[in-house]
Amino acid sequence: MKSKITVALAGNPNSGKTTIFNNLTGARQHVGNYPGVTVEKKEGFCEYEGREIRIVDLPGTYSLTAYSAEELVARNFIVDEKPNVVVDIIDSSNLERNLYLAVQLMEIGLPLVLVFNMSDEVRERGYEFDIERFSQFFNAPVVKTVGHKGEGMDELMEKIIAAASRRGESRDQLVVNYGAEVEEEIKKIMSMLKEHFRMTDRYGTRWLALKLLENDRDVWEKVNSGEINGQVEKSAARIEKMLGEHPETVIAGGRYGFISGACQEAVRSTIEIRHTISDRIDSVITNRILGIPIFLGLMYLVFALTFTLGDPPMGWIEGLFKWFGDVVRGWWPEGSGSLIRSLLVDGIIGGAGGVIVFLPNILLLFFAIAILEDSGYMARAAFIMDRLMHKIGLHGKSFIPMLVGFGCSVPAIMATRTLENGRDRLVTMLVVPLMSCGARLPIYALIIPAFFPQVWHAPMLWIIYVIGILLAILSAKVLRSTIFRGESIPFVMELPPYRMPTFRGVLTHMWQRGWLYLKKAGTIILSISILLWAMTTFPGLPDEDSGRFEKEKQSVQTSMVDEKERSARIAAIDDARKEAELRTSIAGRIGHALEPVLKPMGFDWKIGTALIGAFAAKEVFVAQMGIVYSVGEADEGSKTLREKLKDSYSSLVGFCIMLFCLISAPCMATIAITRRESNSWGWALFQLAGLTVLAWVITVIIYQTGSMLGIGI
Amino acid sequence: MTASETLTASLEDYMEAIFHIIAEKHAVKPRDIARRLKVSYASVTGALRSLADKKMINYTPYDLITLTETGEAAAKDVVRRHEVLKDFFVEVLGVRDADADNAACRMEHSIPKVLVDRFVKFVEFVETCPRGGDKWIKGFMYQCDNKGPQENCEKCISTCLDEVRGHMRRGGAKTMETSKLKDLKPGQKCKVLKVRGRSEANRRVLEMGVTPGSVIELERVAPLGDPIDIKVKGYHLSLRKDEAEGIDVEII
Repeated sequence: MKSKITVALAGNPNSGKTTIFNNLTGARQHVGNYPGVTVEKKEGFCEYEGREIRIVDLPGTYSLTAYSAEELVARNFIVDEKPNVVVDIIDSSNLERNLYLAVQLMEIGLPLVLVFNMSDEVRERGYEFDIERFSQFFNAPVVKTVGHKGEGMDELMEKIIAAASRRGESRDQLVVNYGAEVEEEIKKIMSMLKEHFRMTDRYGTRWLALKLLENDRDVWEKVNSGEINGQVEKSAARIEKMLGEHPETVIAGGRYGFISGACQEAVRSTIEIRHTISDRIDSVITNRILGIPIFLGLMYLVFALTFTLGDPPMGWIEGLFKWFGDVVRGWWPEGSGSLIRSLLVDGIIGGAGGVIVFLPNILLLFFAIAILEDSGYMARAAFIMDRLMHKIGLHGKSFIPMLVGFGCSVPAIMATRTLENGRDRLVTMLVVPLMSCGARLPIYALIIPAFFPQVWHAPMLWIIYVIGILLAILSAKVLRSTIFRGESIPFVMELPPYRMPTFRGVLTHMWQRGWLYLKKAGTIILSISILLWAMTTFPGLPDEDSGRFEKEKQSVQTSMVDEKERSARIAAIDDARKEAELRTSIAGRIGHALEPVLKPMGFDWKIGTALIGAFAAKEVFVAQMGIVYSVGEADEGSKTLREKLKDSYSSLVGFCIMLFCLISAPCMATIAITRRESNSWGWALFQLAGLTVLAWVITVIIYQTGSMLGIGI
Repeated sequence: MTASETLTASLEDYMEAIFHIIAEKHAVKPRDIARRLKVSYASVTGALRSLADKKMINYTPYDLITLTETGEAAAKDVVRRHEVLKDFFVEVLGVRDADADNAACRMEHSIPKVLVDRFVKFVEFVETCPRGGDKWIKGFMYQCDNKGPQENCEKCISTCLDEVRGHMRRGGAKTMETSKLKDLKPGQKCKVLKVRGRSEANRRVLEMGVTPGSVIELERVAPLGDPIDIKVKGYHLSLRKDEAEGIDVEII
């Protein structure tokens, strides 16, 4: 049995790495997270000539400095886990920039295979490559491929197998000569390292010396020795004095010099085409005047596709689960108080329905996002919006999740995946629930007509939405200047050439996201639903109370009133029973217990209990209010409920309810997805607590000032 | 009639050799000549004698050899013809260095001055005329290797026209002042002089290929005025204006 081969796939973003990964591994993939960071870890397996091959798709990076979480993850994987072969996927239509990573990989010194992907595009543009020459320059086999057509995969596999049997080159080989001055300093640092640092075998002395000169934070921390640091600082100062540039400039320049030398020898261009099709598209799409309207139009399309097109299937799913619940309910005799029935129907089937109901939204949103990303528009969207988003401390790409947040926070938080930087992602994720989602609309629809005159309906709704947006902006700024303080993350970003997205790529992307949601967030949502079910069910009515309701019911049934009157009375008793059940349930008790906290906002235990229910899903608030006010199955259009509300509360309290629902603890699905996407319960709970506290503080301030000034009482 | 025309091909080779040796060592011994031209010592002394007869060199046995005034002019003339031919072979025809040297050696003796002058003028013309230039020659080399003309002639011509117009628009003259990358106007090209500061943004910019000496073009500014889109190493890169702050350039 021959040993297993581990292959690391490295490459720039947009180099077609994922397509090649999919080609090589097919369906045998596993998606997870690297421990402790939000970076996705993709692994796949395949077999070639009887050998088991494990392929790890490293995050797409331009370089291997410890600049972002992605680069650090990619580098640590290569340096620490020492895969048998590193495959660098290179976009051959953008050779020089892509080869920069190849040079860095060479410097690490593991067996390397270079893949010149998209070689068809290059031929069309009139470039000719001398593959032999490249192979010599980079001391590695070179394979030409066309990822989306699957060309060159067999050759790649052969080269991988061949490279795996080749031992790694000597670790300290000289790849690029950085010039006499720099080389001299490198030698000095190398000898210091050999003397004072134990782990030189693991990393290679020359590589360490280079990284130290490049001012690489991660390596500095690893080495962390006074003598070496002193030498590096001296060397850097010397280089700066002699060459008039920082060492990192000289080193980057040296690498690019090596690359352009290689390209001059091995690339033939017949002519230089300055205006490619991509450039022409850009002159319209990022045009000064047309850019923003086109962007807004496309965003509208994404929103409409996700939520308008997603609405009917959501209705079908809800209907299906309701039907299924009714079928299961029918297994027990009418009026049975069986706990198992309640658990099955209300807890499990209801909970599963609550998970799957988001699926149409998520699939459609990621269908749209995959098209935007694969076509190259996403980078332009960031380019257009960055000025605005940068002002609130976010990245241009944060715009899309924020926008989707108006529909639903769950897909919105999943959409933060398009942000490469961890800090940007977390801030966006944390503030997204402030964008008032569609599920809160029923609450506003119930409350606004109940408390405000007709002319105020539209402005009121508008005010609520604007408050959400302003708070999101403010929170982002605050988070940026407190927890996520630090130099703003550079926007330096490639605008990749426009490409036609492939159907298969888009579908794979969509499917992966949907599956991840079901598997990771679904389980959390389901368990919280069951928990909430238990909270609203247990401990149930005391025997004497339930006996009393039964007796009342019987007396109505035997009384001498007509059919209509009788069923109305029975319904009233049922409603009263439900109200009593909820009041005595754990949720009701918590609602009661919370009264001292709710009081300053003008809320009573009824609202408190409904708010606990709203944690399952915001719109549940309306149904819960219906139960606590004994009006039975209520929806946002219920006139009786509105009247009861108007009798019980002032319009100031009505406004406060909306405000609190807008800001406070997002629904459990949001918390679950934040947990999943941030890869930490800490951030999910921080979001839950932070938003609830913020909601409380703001609502208290509004209620108290309102009461004092006598507004809306 | 110039002096050199009275010399035979082989004597011209001797003159050339003497000229080069003087340039390198300041003193010429017959042994150096023999080694350089790969001939016997005896034939060197014979040639030297005949050159001395023609008043090209000062030669007395066992003494250093120097060129006379006419001799120096003649030698320079031969060397020039050699250089011109070699340049043409390498730069325009794309022949390998060694082959070009060999051919130049053989052709330099027979080529008339008129033709040499024309060769010089032609090379200059190709280098400066917008219709010629680097790319034109590359195209020729591509054709030599691929046995067949290119098909995208129209595109090539329009590219070249664009460049000429761009050059005229910018006043046709080169300005050699240092400016900031962020102050460029869309369509302007520049050469990077220096990347200041050691911030993360600067390091990233370097790694993405904006290294000193590289040529970049400002493609456009975002609709809201920031960030900017530059073209470097054949691809588009966007960066915020404050990130471009530390990049000094020279507009070309």
